This record gives sequence, structure tokens and C-alpha cells, in this order.
Amino acid sequence: MNTSQPPRTFSWENLGDLQLGRPNLGPMAPVLAYRLMQFTLWDVLIGEFGPDKANDLFRRAGNLAGKEFCRNLLDKSLPFSAFVAQLQKVLKQQLIGLMRMERVNLETMQFTLTVAEDLDCSGLPCTDEIVCQYDEGFIAGILEEYTGKVFDVTETDCWASGARVCRFSAKLSGDAPHD
Amino acid sequence: MIKEARDKLGVLLQGKVPDAIGTEHCASEDERQLANLLNELFACMQEVHEFIVPLSQGNISGIALPPPRNFLSSPFKELHSRLMHLTWQTSRVAEGDYSQQIDFMGDFSEAFNKMIASLDRNERELKIKIAELETALSRISQLEGILPICSKCKRIRREGTDPGQQNSWEAIESYITAKTQTMFSHGLCPECVKALYSDFT
Repeated sequence: MNTSQPPRTFSWENLGDLQLGRPNLGPMAPVLAYRLMQFTLWDVLIGEFGPDKANDLFRRAGNLAGKEFCRNLLDKSLPFSAFVAQLQKVLKQQLIGLMRMERVNLETMQFTLTVAEDLDCSGLPCTDEIVCQYDEGFIAGILEEYTGKVFDVTETDCWASGARVCRFSAKLSGDAPHD
Repeated sequence: MIKEARDKLGVLLQGKVPDAIGTEHCASEDERQLANLLNELFACMQEVHEFIVPLSQGNISGIALPPPRNFLSSPFKELHSRLMHLTWQTSRVAEGDYSQQIDFMGDFSEAFNKMIASLDRNERELKIKIAELETALSRISQLEGILPICSKCKRIRREGTDPGQQNSWEAIESYITAKTQTMFSHGLCPECVKALYSDFT
């Protein structure tokens, strides 16, 4: 008997019916469970592929998540500032983090934003690291899905680097970095 | 070295950032490590000082952020982040975008969000009032000008019609009702009552 299955690909529908599956516990889970999965997976990926490749894989997964999140939970027809207000609201509703837009330049498509109380790193000890590669990809994915353009997102401040807030700089892919 | 460290910590407590402690005269490795740690503390304090003073003067977007790993600066960076966010949101509200909301900034969030709701409500009410006034104005303009009126029966001649045709002339009540939607209720003034019904008064 041939037991091989086609490779599993992501689809939003396959996230499951949480009302059916968790009638008592509900759709939310503690940050502990998220971080336990995240940091153990990261550990294994680093061991298997090295830190650069592991970070890249996390960023790519975040990018896919950001695109799916935008497609399924956000109204892409809104003008930019209303889209930002909506994104801020949905990220709070889903307990993902408190997003705050700091700078917007729609001519150059460069943005600076922060995410406080985020899932990945808020409260981590200061280890002089940037650990939000998944979030970098996630934000880039949202921007790419909304604008139809490719973005580079870089975390410039992180809880783990002693900043108490995660600050991200987004620019069109291939552009020079901005402040 | 201990004396130098004590003096420089005294300077720090007086609100100034001292120069680094020289490590060349340290008597032991422990002293050298202590001096290095104190120098690191002084450097962090210097970075905080250079950041927070312009920030306290309202220079929000033009200041350089302290580098990562300065844990002492982290609450100020968080404050700076929130001020940047407020600045951006305020600029959006100034352009009439009332979809913005401030999250979890205590009394300020409540006051800011109430202000946005109030601005939104006031603007909507103002727009309704303006629309009402514009409608009223258009009705007034419809009655402007010189109306041709029959000297005897007071019928109004419709604009652009032949004065020689009887159907060009319209009763004043129906003319005004058509132009302004004002309705009439009919009665008699005392003089007309006397003229029409003198036998009954």
C-alpha cells in the first residue's frame, strides 16, 4: 500500500474550526505555549541549519502568515491610514500585540512602527539580540499583500536588545535603509 | 582607583556625567573590572542624558536613539515610541481621519479617544446642518427676482409663459407651494369677512 502523502501546504481553512474543536477552552492560548513552540523550533532549526538559515526560515514563515492574515482578517480596500487603524485594532483583538505607527512616507513607501507586548520577545532578558525575525516577515507579508509590492522589514530595537519595545523599519525591497 | 570611583559616582549623583575612570593604575584585576563596569555605566548615562534632554524639550523626531543594549534608556525609548505614535495619529486626525485610536496609555488614551469621537460627531452634525442650510438657501433663491402678478386676482404668471394665455397664470398659493413646499390654510381676514358677509355680522 502506498502511504506517501502529498506535501502539506498552508491554507487558512486548515487552521480548523476552533468553536467546534475547543468548546470549553476557547480560541486563545497562553503566550507560554506560543513561545515554547517558537523557541524550541528555533533551537532545532539552528541545530539543523545554522542561525542564518534558521532566521531566514522564520522570516519566510512570518511572511506567509502576514499575507494570509491580511487576506483573511483585513479589509485591503481601505485607504492607508484607515488600513493602519484597522490593523492596529485587529492585532489587539487577536492579542498579538499593540502596534503603533510612528512614521509614514507614502511617497517612498517607508514606514517605522513599533509592536509592544508582542508574542515573541516582550519581557525577555537583555541579551543584545534581535529575535523577532518571524515578526519582520509577518509585517512584510501584511504590507506586501496590501500594496502588491515587496518589502524589507528590519527590527531596529527589540526587548531582547534592551529597548522595552520592538521597533521595525519597513522599506521597499532594494531601497536604501532609512532612519 | 577606589577614591577616583567614589568621586566620579559623586559627580554622577550630582546630575553630571563624569569622565571615564582610568584603568592603567588599577591595583588588581577586580579593580580593573570594576572600573570597566563603572565606565560602562557612565557611558549608558551619557547616552540617556543626550537622548532625554532634547526629548523633554519636545524634539521628538529629530533625535538619535540610544544604541541597543542600553537598558537604562529603555523606558525613555518606550516613551519616545509612544510620542512618535501620538504625533503620527494626531497628524492623521488633523486631516480628518477619525478612525484612529490610542491603546493602553492610561488617562491620555481615554481623553484622546473621546476627543476623536467628539470631533467625528461634531463634524457629522455640522455636515447635516450645512446640508439643511444649503437646501433652505436654494429655496430662498427660487423666490428671488420680480414676480409678474395679476393686479386684480393676484395670480402669478409662470416664468417664460405667454401672458395672453389664461393657463399661464397660477394661483399664488399653488405657486409658492410648488417653489417652497410651504402649505396654506385658508381663512378670512376681518375686512374680507365684512365685505363678503356683512349681513351676518
